[in-house]
Amino acid sequence: MKRNWRFMWSMAVISMFVLVALGGCACFQETAVKETPAPVAEKPTEPAAAPVKATDEDAAKVAAMREKLVAEAHAFGERHIHFAFDRYDLNDDARAYLNELGGWLKKNKNFDVIIEGHCDERGTAEYNLALGERRATAAKNYLVNLGVDAKRLSTISYGKERPLDPRSCEEAWAKNRRARFNVFPTTW
Amino acid sequence: MILLVGRVEAGCGIVIKENRRNKGREFCRALGIIAALLLSFFAWNPAASAKVYIDIDSPAFQKFPVAVQDFRALGEGEDKEGSAAFFADELGKLLEMTGFFRVIPREAFLEDGATAGITAPEIRFGDWLSIGADFLVKGGFEYKDDELVSEFRLFDVVRGSLITGKRYIGRPDDRKTMVLKFAEEILLALVGEHGVFDTKIAFVVKKGDNSELYTVSFDGTNMKEITNYETLTILPRWSPEGERLAFVSYLRGNPDSYILHLNSGRREVLTDFPALNIPSSWSPDGKEILMVLGKDGYNDIYVIEVESKRLRRLTHSPSIDVSPSFSPDGSQIVFVSNRSGNPHLFIMDSKGRSVRRITFEGTNNTSPRWSPRGNEIVYVGLVEKRFQLFTIDAKGGNNTQLTYFDGDCFDPSWSPDGRYLVFTLRRAGIEKVCIINSTGVNLRIIEGADSAKNPAWSPRLDSD
Repeated sequence: MKRNWRFMWSMAVISMFVLVALGGCACFQETAVKETPAPVAEKPTEPAAAPVKATDEDAAKVAAMREKLVAEAHAFGERHIHFAFDRYDLNDDARAYLNELGGWLKKNKNFDVIIEGHCDERGTAEYNLALGERRATAAKNYLVNLGVDAKRLSTISYGKERPLDPRSCEEAWAKNRRARFNVFPTTW
Repeated sequence: MILLVGRVEAGCGIVIKENRRNKGREFCRALGIIAALLLSFFAWNPAASAKVYIDIDSPAFQKFPVAVQDFRALGEGEDKEGSAAFFADELGKLLEMTGFFRVIPREAFLEDGATAGITAPEIRFGDWLSIGADFLVKGGFEYKDDELVSEFRLFDVVRGSLITGKRYIGRPDDRKTMVLKFAEEILLALVGEHGVFDTKIAFVVKKGDNSELYTVSFDGTNMKEITNYETLTILPRWSPEGERLAFVSYLRGNPDSYILHLNSGRREVLTDFPALNIPSSWSPDGKEILMVLGKDGYNDIYVIEVESKRLRRLTHSPSIDVSPSFSPDGSQIVFVSNRSGNPHLFIMDSKGRSVRRITFEGTNNTSPRWSPRGNEIVYVGLVEKRFQLFTIDAKGGNNTQLTYFDGDCFDPSWSPDGRYLVFTLRRAGIEKVCIINSTGVNLRIIEGADSAKNPAWSPRLDSD
């Protein structure tokens, strides 16, 4: 999925260049982004758009807005929700995160999400694949209940195959029992 | 290439009695050995071949002491390859590996292998008895032009008689295969059943975020990478004839199931439904595979016909149902379900009916595999924060903890004779493929890969 994200990311950057080159063609703007997106606690990350000389003030504004949205989407992917051992029910932190993400997705309808479910190393590969699927699905169902279109959400389980922290200790296991949200733009 | 297996009734020259064509198995093709029974100096009693010398199922079983003497150079040619020690060392290693033999160190030997005779009348059995050997292996070899001829003889030390003998003719680099073949003969003669000398283990090697499939011979030699997909590829499962491997791979982003045809290298998609696609267990006839599919929102157990891809759903539970494994006759299926809260083992018939729970101890019981002998099921259970191997019978009785490692055991898989288990052992964050006897003793680690897991033991690959 990393590759997929990178691909989406570069597509987003390329799209922004194209947009700027077109001189602010407003017809590209499919979504009216009127409300300010929810503030993101994490650092709104990295470069995305190269420095652009605004030939047109509107184009620059649109580009800046998109850059901001992509950064926000990326920031959602940097945060994970966590689960207890052999469980896939959502705790309070997970619900808070999903409320935030759900609100954002409802405002930004040109973003879809791939939800990755992960497990710690304990237990066998097959059971953990199923458990990872359940974790991703639990998050998906919660977002659907918030009103996010199910078509925008897909799940993928990595079981215990891609731990975040390779160590064998409680701290690492807690980190690894997670769902990760790959939020990416679909259209510009 | 022709493989000849001969047998001689009495010591009057080599008579080829059987003449079987190579069935095209890789194992035979690779060598082109001509094997003929060596002439016996004692009348061979056919009834003796049915006798089981060693009852390895006996609760009082103790390893049988065997001496393997250095082989004798029979011809004029020099032993440039060190075959005298090679034959003895390799055979000794294989016998040790079975867990049924204790190989007596050659320092204890009273006889000089270089000069001692290799036929019963020449052997002073009393000398071997006095160092505690119940069985004795002797042999000889000769390099002739580009051929290597070897003779192997197994003696009953107590009775002072030959149990079985073989002569093999092949290329010099077939000598390991000759040893493997005679090890099989020894097992057949003494234990009364086939060994695992012609089997492989498929497993997974982690490479960063990805993993590839490998195979290795049962003795840890001949390690080969068989996929190079540069994605996550896991959970190999051998078909019963040993020519196909089913597995899970993220080749197209989703955990889909595939079949790799080992002879041709052809890969086919088995299922690519949304969500999980896990092939778990081949039916004994190789026509069906038990699958775990997540396509209907839950992970349920299905059976798929490999040819037609026709699916039958066997479980309809909103719980997690995974890891189905056929009984050896295909009539029953053991699987994992968390329908009672925690993962436990359940059994149902091949139509998905008559579901009953068989584990009641512990809170986390997974990965059941039905023994090829049919009498027991191995599984992984969580005890004192460690995952250990257990066995239990199909009625839920005789629940027995097999391992007590300071580490975690996963992915158990039976050898085709049901005498051994291969599994993943994770200790201090390092995963290794390991083998133990089905009684839980005689640990052997397959070395050669930094991080190896998901082992699956092949069926016997050489039918001869």
